[in-house]
Amino acid sequence: MNTRVRLVAFALIAASLLSVFALKNTYAEDLSADQVSRISANCLSIKGSLNQLHASDALLRVNRGQIYESMGSKLMGNFNARLGNNGLDNKGLVVVSDEYQTALATFRNDYQAYEKQLSTTIKIDCSKDQVGFHTALLDARTKRTTVHDDILHLNQYIDDYRSAVNDFMLNFDRVTGSN
Amino acid sequence: MDDEPTVLTQGEQLSFWIEHRFLLLIIGTLVVATILVSISIVIYNVSGSAQLDLSRPGYQSVSNKVDRTDPVTDYSAFGPVNKGTVNDFTTIYDQQADKAKGVDAFNGDPLNPEVLEFGDPTTFAQ
Repeated sequence: MNTRVRLVAFALIAASLLSVFALKNTYAEDLSADQVSRISANCLSIKGSLNQLHASDALLRVNRGQIYESMGSKLMGNFNARLGNNGLDNKGLVVVSDEYQTALATFRNDYQAYEKQLSTTIKIDCSKDQVGFHTALLDARTKRTTVHDDILHLNQYIDDYRSAVNDFMLNFDRVTGSN
Repeated sequence: MDDEPTVLTQGEQLSFWIEHRFLLLIIGTLVVATILVSISIVIYNVSGSAQLDLSRPGYQSVSNKVDRTDPVTDYSAFGPVNKGTVNDFTTIYDQQADKAKGVDAFNGDPLNPEVLEFGDPTTFAQ
């Protein structure tokens, strides 16, 4: 019985080690000898492109982030507060604006993770460690896609809030009897 | 008379601190300053402020392109609610929503190895 437990434990450890090793090698196998030599040869120009992207994405983060932050606090938050101050039912709007704020927080965190990953990638010496550079680059690429998805979610919540305002108006008109 | 040695020992210890008090003050100040600066740097990096700081090295080319004017008009949280005020809100909201959605931020795939010109040529051929 004891031997069987040991065998199972050994098999589990071996399986997990093998999967980690296989995962590591997948990236290495993805990179052909030709790619390795091209990364080495074009290392400087690749780094230049990454630095430009790093700077332009930072500017995008600041300018777009400013608009999204203001939409949440200056428009949604204030409109919800005004309805609340007048004793009106704002639950539907609050739900959407809360989801929007959650999506905004996710965007902030995901951008931070992306920026850190891109910085890490830029710091890797691609003329010496091509595989490490390639792996880090693919990770940054995935994280950038996540940031783009977050932007799409935010845009969706902006539309949802607008629909919630329309719903509120329909109820408001019905209750007050105005046309 | 029996207490004399004890008094002298205390006096010697006190004189050491008194003698080096200025140096100790400077060392203490430096230690406190180092701790506070370290905490500030950790908060700066962890909070995400670092990502918004375009005065860092490498961002000079874009730091003057930051939109300094806040494009979103503030809507007051106080005041009456009627059809007119809600319409005012929807007008402002629609304008800002168009601005927010006007740019498809972080789209494209600039980190694609093929875009960076080291993609696998066999993939290109396909």
